[in-house]
Amino acid sequence: MVSLNDYLIASGLLFAIGFAGVLLRRNVIIIFMALELMLNAANLSLVGFSRYNVHDGLPDYNGQVLVFFIITVAAAEVTVGLAIIVALFRARQTTHVEDINTLKF
Amino acid sequence: MTFPPIFFELFVLALGILILLLETFFEKRDRKMFAVVGIVGLAVVFLFLQASGPGASGMASYVVDPPAIFFKKLSVLTTIVVLIMSIDYADTIKRFLPADSPQAGLGEFFALPVLTCAGMMWMSSAIDFILIFVSLELVTISFYVLVAYMRRNASSLEAGVKYLILSALATGFTVYGITWIYGVTRQTNLVQISQVLPSISVDNQPGVLFGALLVLIGLGFKIAAAPFQFWVPDVYQGAPTPITAFLSVGSKSVGFIVLLRVVQAFQSLPAVGDKLITAVILLAVATLLYGNLAALPQTNFKRLLAYSSIGHAGYLLMAVAGISAKDSGQAVVVYLAAYLLMTLLSFLVLVIVSNHGGGDEIVQFNGLSKRSPFLAFALLVAMMSLAGVPLTAGFLGKFMVFKVALETRQFLLIALAIITVGCGFYFYLKVVRAMYWQPAPANVAAIPVSKLSLAAIIIMVLLIFVLGIFPQVALGLLPG
Repeated sequence: MVSLNDYLIASGLLFAIGFAGVLLRRNVIIIFMALELMLNAANLSLVGFSRYNVHDGLPDYNGQVLVFFIITVAAAEVTVGLAIIVALFRARQTTHVEDINTLKF
Repeated sequence: MTFPPIFFELFVLALGILILLLETFFEKRDRKMFAVVGIVGLAVVFLFLQASGPGASGMASYVVDPPAIFFKKLSVLTTIVVLIMSIDYADTIKRFLPADSPQAGLGEFFALPVLTCAGMMWMSSAIDFILIFVSLELVTISFYVLVAYMRRNASSLEAGVKYLILSALATGFTVYGITWIYGVTRQTNLVQISQVLPSISVDNQPGVLFGALLVLIGLGFKIAAAPFQFWVPDVYQGAPTPITAFLSVGSKSVGFIVLLRVVQAFQSLPAVGDKLITAVILLAVATLLYGNLAALPQTNFKRLLAYSSIGHAGYLLMAVAGISAKDSGQAVVVYLAAYLLMTLLSFLVLVIVSNHGGGDEIVQFNGLSKRSPFLAFALLVAMMSLAGVPLTAGFLGKFMVFKVALETRQFLLIALAIITVGCGFYFYLKVVRAMYWQPAPANVAAIPVSKLSLAAIIIMVLLIFVLGIFPQVALGLLPG
């Protein structure tokens, strides 16, 4: 029997992998993919929580509604994000973060 | 006349879409007219907001309390000033767009701030994590486009990519935090969460604290609090100047209302609430130190304002940390009202001066008092207010914040804040020194100011003095 903890551990792992990807990878597209992984980690745990928070024999649907919103917003974010990355590639012929250094810290 | 409060947001949304459509129907007209349409429309919304009062909204996720109305007015005013700046800045935008026709792409530049404004207004009223998340993203995604708007300009694109990655990361943290709060409390509504919290078991408290801290990190990005501030200087420098002003005022102020509401909701369970307050105090310390110390060596005016924006987030966090005091909310409101005036005024002068000098360096301001005494005086007022000189709005804001900190006995924080105010004097007066004591470069002409900007500058200068000299009047107008 799969318990709530299993879902939470899987989602925690996904979140950690996503965060590590953002910190360690050097290609903007891969970083962006890792960011989406973090959002999906949240989705997984939301669905898990929703399924195990039972009211009157039914799952608590609030969490699943939030999942729909997250999926939609993530799609919008990807659309705009990829457009910006494509514009960057056109201007600079690169998507590596080391090359994005005109503005100094 | 009464209509449901959510009509304000819907009207602003419709206005944004209307500006987008106008481009199709009036292809020959000067695009700057669209900005004027936006300004007039938002001014109407502002007047109706002014006439409306708090009341029931009939929705569980949406409140119409005095702070919500105040922050809506703040968002609308900011957007109006940003549109005025955008008109002055339009020529620079045009230079960096791949243009088929001389006016291509300008329509969207005036429509997107209006749509962002709708998101900010929703955020001011949101008390449900679902609505908070969606409106936050409406604001953030519009900003992605606006920051990277000048797509033939390498630094604007670079700022756009940096903002995109770091903001999406903040979103990831916020969402994951919301998940955990929902998982433990089974609620997404802040009112419900606050009611349920005292009854959760001790085993579940770490889960809720973990969630709350993640949400705090996510909001820390939005309000530019250290150590989540590293995107700020780069993005502020690279983005088009009106958008920088929008980011530093609009994005920050609505971030603070959400932060206030979230921190308030968790106070019903002291075991979690107190730890959250400790985290806010730590953020305030880091933010005050970083913002004010890193600003000292800056030579670029936009970067200087970026660090100043981080520093001011520190003072605001001091007020949030004193949330148990009864004036805490009012201190945040007064400080943000003052911050809005002085920051927008600085950016407005910067846009006009850099249009006629070609850059954002402080050197550009050398001898401004000879070239344009009016602009120099306006910037002098803004800088004095940012530094917190008495008789200006900035002083009133700092006074309120220090009062809240005293009431909640945060003596260490107060000592630190006094030192950082001292640092502030140094780097703000550096700009004043350039304007009044440095010789102007030879053969530069006087700077023309458009009528709209002139009116905006005069109104803001007057308001800064009114807030500073007659605080009772100001406190009467602002919600408690």
